[in-house]
Amino acid sequence: MSSEKNTPTRRALGLASMGAGIAGSYLGYILQRAFLGEAESQAKLKSAHARAARKMRDEMQALRGPAMKLGQMLSLQAGVLPDEALAELASLQMKAPGMHPSLVRVQIKQSLGGDPEEVFKEFTPEPFAAASLGQVHRAVTREGEQVAVKVQYPGIRQAIANDFKLFRAVSQPAQASGHVPRAAIDEMEQQILAETDYRRETENIEFFGKQLAPLPFVRVPRVLLAYSSDRVLTMSLMRGQHLEDFLAARPSQKLRTQLGANLFELYYFQVLQVGALHADPHWGNYLLQPNAGIGLVDFGCAKYLRPETVGYLRSVFLYPGPTDSADFRRLLEDNYRHTGRKLQPATRRALISFADNFYRKVYPPEPNKQQPFDFGDREFLADYLRESKNLLRTKGVMTEYIFIARAEMGLYHTLHRLKARVPTSAIVRKYL
Amino acid sequence: MAAKKKVKSRAKTLGGATKPRAGGRRAQNKREIRERIVRAALGLFQTKGFDATTTKAIARRAGIAEGTVFNYFKSKDDIALHFFEQEVDQAMAAVRENPRLRKAPLEEKLFALVHSQLEYLAHHERFIGTALIEALKPASPLGAFSHRAQELRHRYLGFIEELIEESAPTRRRSPLTFFAPEVFWIYYLGVLLYWLNDTSAGKQNTLAFLDRSLHVGVSMLKRGWL
Repeated sequence: MSSEKNTPTRRALGLASMGAGIAGSYLGYILQRAFLGEAESQAKLKSAHARAARKMRDEMQALRGPAMKLGQMLSLQAGVLPDEALAELASLQMKAPGMHPSLVRVQIKQSLGGDPEEVFKEFTPEPFAAASLGQVHRAVTREGEQVAVKVQYPGIRQAIANDFKLFRAVSQPAQASGHVPRAAIDEMEQQILAETDYRRETENIEFFGKQLAPLPFVRVPRVLLAYSSDRVLTMSLMRGQHLEDFLAARPSQKLRTQLGANLFELYYFQVLQVGALHADPHWGNYLLQPNAGIGLVDFGCAKYLRPETVGYLRSVFLYPGPTDSADFRRLLEDNYRHTGRKLQPATRRALISFADNFYRKVYPPEPNKQQPFDFGDREFLADYLRESKNLLRTKGVMTEYIFIARAEMGLYHTLHRLKARVPTSAIVRKYL
Repeated sequence: MAAKKKVKSRAKTLGGATKPRAGGRRAQNKREIRERIVRAALGLFQTKGFDATTTKAIARRAGIAEGTVFNYFKSKDDIALHFFEQEVDQAMAAVRENPRLRKAPLEEKLFALVHSQLEYLAHHERFIGTALIEALKPASPLGAFSHRAQELRHRYLGFIEELIEESAPTRRRSPLTFFAPEVFWIYYLGVLLYWLNDTSAGKQNTLAFLDRSLHVGVSMLKRGWL
């Protein structure tokens, strides 16, 4: 509205991003929406005087989506972002562009063979949540069950494939120098494309529903197959609040600690026991309940770990001996041998440093040191980020760990926000 | 409303002798035969192509005498034009008569309009492709210089202008504002081309393209860039 918003540069930028947006790039579209969105650009103007780091994070927030995952990985290595921002990024949401009701109708009609009000007893045209690559609507089935209907944005698969094509081209130098491993890009693309297939997500939900049943505090939705397709996914409605809303109600330390312990246990139960991981750790995927229960939603990004990886993690966690011993070294080397790679000395040193300067502090292996770890203390986050960067700089990280690390960082950030005091080692020990 | 007006004007062009009373049996009969001819023609346009289709073949397929075809339509171009008129009329009606769209933003109304046009055209891709090329010929009844085609386009663009006016009456104007509906017409032809060449399942890419481009277009319009 104001004249300064319409400078030639701004306009040129806007036009360029629009071009990208129409040409079928997911990233371009997100940029374009961020540029055109009245409300969002207002918010950006307001934050113009805030600290530089904060501004940077705001910009990155506009870059939600696959590009963000990539950007995150890159910035972790290049050190272009302040550490605090990185931790927050890990838990940011992948968000698809919004769909107006007419587009939602077309998607439902194409997928389920009828208008929303024909297929469902009730259907709310306004979405109540954004999902990765789509949005979620409340509805009531013909049988009277309350459900969440996830509807995918059209053509998203093609758009993501285009983005990766572009990204591969522009990241040639980084790939050549080994800063962005080619295998990592392939892995990312595969994972993100897998998220666009709601049938795959259905399988994930059924898998986790069964596997997580031993944890009484975790709820996993049920898929209603009769109301689902590859682009529409209907699930039983989950109860609970997102982290922000949950914290706004000023929950007691006891509740925050209990919830933190539950989130922590959920993570290690998945990694060490199930061998598979709900790997999109943004807050919107965890619905927090007043009885310290956790409702898990959005199973698009699930990472199934190799048994060797799980075995390795079980053997190094709470490793009782000295980290400079030949035995510990052998554990690290064996793990690399499984993937047909050799553990480089620099990577080995970084791994040992990680163990000494982060894991031993947060997860004390000695059975007599069992006081809960206070995640409200922000020093541990700095430790984690510093050591991660060290490790990534050695270019010796296996792609599998990119997803584990993302989920782990998301967990730490959530625990930090909750200021939870968690008996870390005692919980991990249960699953070793 | 637009549909009613059209029936009246058509009745006039077909000669006073057969002036139909609304709901009359004769009128009903005539409507049915007209539909049969159009359906037969479209089927042939799609399978054999527009150029290779003769009025004789259309008559045979519709199960009527060739002469009867000429009682309803002057030529096969006339049939094609009739089809496009119906396409535009039903799309405009779909937007106007849908209570859900009354308070919808401009981009959603335009989306609903173009999408219902495309839905109407579905299964006639081959014919639409030929018709687009046919329309470029100056002498063609489908072309820009034919009186009826022009009238149809004016009706369509008038409707677009109406939608823009009711959604963004206080937008900033630029010297280009006057041309906005014309720009939309070119845009619409572009969407048609994209749709014709879209091989994605369920033409999902066209939906994305339509949504994205309308969002951009409407934003530009509201900013006075258009």
